[in-house]
Parts: sequence; C-alpha cells; structure tokens
Amino acid sequence: MEIRARGYDSALSLRELLSGISPARLSAALAILLGGQVRVVSADSAWVMGDTPPLAENARRLPLVHDLETTGYLEIVAADEARARAAANLLELLMQSGARYFMASEMHVEVVKADYEELQRRHVALMASEARYRALAENLEERVREQVDTIESARRQLYQAEKLASVGQLAAGVAHEINNPIGFIRSNLSTAQSYIQKFRSVAEQVKSSGNAALTGAWQAANMDFVLEDFPSLLHESMDGVDRVARIVTDLKGFSNVDQAEEEIVDLNDCIRSACNVAAHQVNSRADLKLTLGELPPLRCKAGHLSQVFLNLLLNAVQAMEKRGEIRIRSGVENGRIVIRFSDTGCGIPPEILPRIFDPFFTTQDVGSGTGLGLTVSRDIITAHSGDIEVDSKLNVGTTFTIHLPLNRENTQHGRL
Amino acid sequence: MAELDETTRKLTIKLVYYGPAMSGKTTNLMRLHDLLSPDLKGEIMTLETQNDRTLFFDLLPLGFHTPSGWLVKFKLYTVPGQVVHDATRKAVLSRADGVVFVADSQRSQGINNSESFQNLEDNARRVGLDFGTLPIVVQFNKRDLPNVLSEEEIRGRWSAAPWPLVMASALTGTGVRETFVKLLEAVYPLLDRSFSLSEKHGVSAKAFIDTVVGEQLGNPR
Repeated sequence: MEIRARGYDSALSLRELLSGISPARLSAALAILLGGQVRVVSADSAWVMGDTPPLAENARRLPLVHDLETTGYLEIVAADEARARAAANLLELLMQSGARYFMASEMHVEVVKADYEELQRRHVALMASEARYRALAENLEERVREQVDTIESARRQLYQAEKLASVGQLAAGVAHEINNPIGFIRSNLSTAQSYIQKFRSVAEQVKSSGNAALTGAWQAANMDFVLEDFPSLLHESMDGVDRVARIVTDLKGFSNVDQAEEEIVDLNDCIRSACNVAAHQVNSRADLKLTLGELPPLRCKAGHLSQVFLNLLLNAVQAMEKRGEIRIRSGVENGRIVIRFSDTGCGIPPEILPRIFDPFFTTQDVGSGTGLGLTVSRDIITAHSGDIEVDSKLNVGTTFTIHLPLNRENTQHGRL
Repeated sequence: MAELDETTRKLTIKLVYYGPAMSGKTTNLMRLHDLLSPDLKGEIMTLETQNDRTLFFDLLPLGFHTPSGWLVKFKLYTVPGQVVHDATRKAVLSRADGVVFVADSQRSQGINNSESFQNLEDNARRVGLDFGTLPIVVQFNKRDLPNVLSEEEIRGRWSAAPWPLVMASALTGTGVRETFVKLLEAVYPLLDRSFSLSEKHGVSAKAFIDTVVGEQLGNPR
C-alpha cells in the first residue's frame, strides 16, 4: 500500500474516523444497547456505516461532533433521550480515538520521511566528502610515486656515479703513474734518435778506415742493417708512446665524471674519446664508421655524456653476433643536436623493446651487466633536457637516437 | 498560514506552543481548556508516551462563529520539547499563525531555553515562516518554583526583543490566559489583513479575543 501523506492536521471524514471499527459489530452493539434499529450516517449523507438502509420517517437524529464540527449523525428509531445521547457520546469517543490514531500515524509518516530525507542529505554530503578524501588519497599516492621515482633515479645515478668514481680514481691514478714513465720514455727515445745520427757519422769512417779487423767485425754484426732498422724501431716506439699518451688522456676524460661541473665542449670530441676508450672491444668485433657533422659548442656535463656514448657503443659491440658495422653520425637537425648510434647486430626483440630503459632490466648473464646502462643513459640525457629513442629490427640492427637542445641556458638545469 | 475553506465557510488558525522539554507546554493547554469558555471547545487530544512526555503533539481545538456565519477554528498545538524530536517539531510548526514560546524560569534552564529558542528560529526558517513577522509571545513559566530568575532579570535580558513577555505559572493557571490573549492580539492584525475579519465578517479585534476567551462580550449570537 502506498504511504499516504495527507498531513496530520487535515480534516477527517466520519468514514475515516471510524475506519478501524467493524461496522457490523458496532451496529449490532448499538442496536442492543438502544433496543432498536440504528444508522450512522455522514453529515453530507454520502456515507452510511455498514450500508444500513434508511430508517423509518420518525427516526431521531443526533449530531456526532468531531473537532468542533458536526461530522455525522446517529439515527435511532426507539430509545430514550439519555440513552441516545450516551450512544452518541460513545461514538464521538470512538471518533476521537480514530482521529488520534490517524494523526499519530500521519505524523509518524511525516517524521520518518523528514528523517529519511535528512539522512539522504547527510549521505550525499558524506559521499561528497568521501570523494574529496579519495581524490586527495589518490593524489597523495601519485605524489608519493613521483617522489619514489625521483629517489629511485637519484639512487641509480648515485650507484653509477660511485662506480664511475672508483673507476675514475683508478684511471686517474694509473694515468698519473703512466704519464711520468711515458714522459721520460719519449724523451729517451728522441735522445736515442739523435744518438743514431752520431753512429751514422762514424759508420763511414769505420768502413773506409781499411782496418780489416774493424770492417770484418762491422759486417759480421750486420751493422749496416742495424743502422738502417734502428730509426724505424724508434719511430714505431714513439708512435706507441703517443698512443699510450692519448689513451691516458681519454681515460682522464672519463675519470672526470664525479666532478659534475658543466663545461663547454664539442660533443664530437666526446664521441671520439669514447671510441678511443672502446677501441679494443670495437676493433675485434666490428668496423667503426664515424660521420661527424659540425656541432656547435655545448654547455653540458661532458663526462656524463661521454659515459652515455660509451654505453651505447659497448651495447652495439655486444649486439654483434658476427663481424658487422657500427656507424656513429652526428649533426644538427631542426634546431637540435642529433647523434645516432646504428649497428648491424642482432636487434632487440619487440617484446622486450619497451622495457630496455627499465632499471635492472638486462639480457646479459647474471653478473656481467647491471641492467643500469640504458636507464642511467636516459636519466643523463633527460637531465640535459634531451631525449633518447630506440628503433630496432630483429636480426637487422638497432639505432639509438639522441636529441639534445642546442642552447640549454633557458631550460631547466639538469639533475645530475 | 491560516487555512480558508470557502465551501464550508471555515477559517482554521494554527497556534503552536513551543519551548524546551518539561517547560509546561502541555500544562498550558490543559489550563486553557479549563479556563476558556468559547462557543466551541473540543477535547484535548494528547499523544504522549507512558511517562507523560509528549511524543508528537497535544491538540486543543477551539472555535466560534462570526456574525457572517463563518466558523473560526483555532487549533492549539504543543511540540515535543525533547531534542530528539526535531522532525516532529518542524512538522508541527509548519504553517503556524502564531507561537507561544514557553520558557522555564528556573535558573538552571537558561541554556535549554536559549537552545530551544534558537531551534524555533531555525525551524521557522526551514518551514518557510518569516521569523521577523511571525507573531510570538514569550512566556516565562514556573514562577511558583524557588530558584527562578527574577522578573527584573528576565525583562532585562529580553529588553531588546520585540516580543511580549508574560510571567506565568501554568500549574496554578496564572498568566496562561494572559499569554494566550497576547498571542491573539498579535495574530489578529495579520488575519484581519488577509481575510478582512473586521470588514467582511464583522469581527473586531476585541470581539475576536473576547469570543475565543469566552468573556461576556462574546459572540452576539
């Protein structure tokens, strides 16, 4: 049944006032009490309790008053006045009781409805506040994640930096120790070259002296060949010394990574120095081709970028299953420095391509790689406001492309 | 707002006794039932719990006929004072034509009185009654008890308020009729403006009040 909401103070009809009472029983009881036929009818005669047929013409009518108004009539044929009045009173009490029930129930419905609406309103308010807190919580999670990423990145760089620092210290120490002997070896070699001239000057005198014992000994010792060969030996040794000196210089360049000062460099020099450091590994597995276009001087952390180039170069070498080609190209495109490392190696399977920059992701055997090389490389490039992309075809080769902005003066400073 | 029924020629006026719990609202109604002798007086209907606390409301119907033959019916309601019955108070207060605020004069009841009065103001706003024009009479009840605020204190505190103050002792009947009369005086001008009581129905302010209260100058019929 639908809940009525007429209002507790609405006017009530006789029918409503007597609605809880059995008409048959009430009529029967009244008939016995009054000793004759009775009929209860509404004031406008529209409703008759128990559909009792009209009584005789001489029936008496007593008003039934509720809420100050005559709501209906009690009709009786017989009965004395006092009894009739008492019966009317009885009916009025019943009506009052009915009204009391009606008003209480209506009020109850109103109150329940109001309470429910209030509850709904609070529920909506609570939902809104919950949504606010949920958004806050989600935001918080996002922010925590960002912080964790930052810390993670810093940790990786710290790890790499420490590794590089220890390698750098070693390299710097070795370079320093080698430089001194190299210095006097070079000096001695050039002195030795001047000594050969002196030998030459006395050689003619020895050969033309006519002293048989002396010329015999000269020829026995094959001194003509010695004098011929000696300068080229010294010359090759000088070349070797120069190469050692160059490698030491390049090593010193890499040993600078822990002093992360920005400097203005030509990135092509960094590329060449990386190639020199890796020359041994590269030459045994691949042919290296450099196509270095002219680059404007760049303010950057050169040691870090050199490390990136070395990483990419060594990765390319490791990708060579048979002897292949590694090509490094540099240049300026669309106002940005572009450096490409292409190899003809095994390529990267598409399923792992999206993960290669992930920290600690490695395809190498446990212990041989940290899985941080590309991650740190990307971190370094990002810190220089640049980006790094990879394009790979399985069994055809891989190309890493680095983009760096020309002028970093107006961009954010790197985190490294 | 009073309800006008053209077909049955009836004007129904709703008056509400508001106030904190146990301040004597129901007692006021009972005394009025005894004291007043209007044309028409119904029985008090009470809807209380077993311990005589009002659950929903009490209702006392009063009425008289105007010279024009209309029935003017007053429905006097009380609200339940207990804080939990706020939804009921709101329902009873809706469409009220006037309010008697029954305050408890005992010194200990100051906070309850002010909270209840604040509640009256809040609920009046919620049910769409203009608190600025709503006829209100403030009755300080229980004057017969010891340890009550003195009349000077009360009048001092309420001096800035625009509503009439009546000192009463509903238990003995003192001030009950006076409170009711003050409310009728405040309600009449508004009713007269809306329904032309004086002009169309021949009911002056004095006749209006006297007839309801049952003075000898009552309904000429």
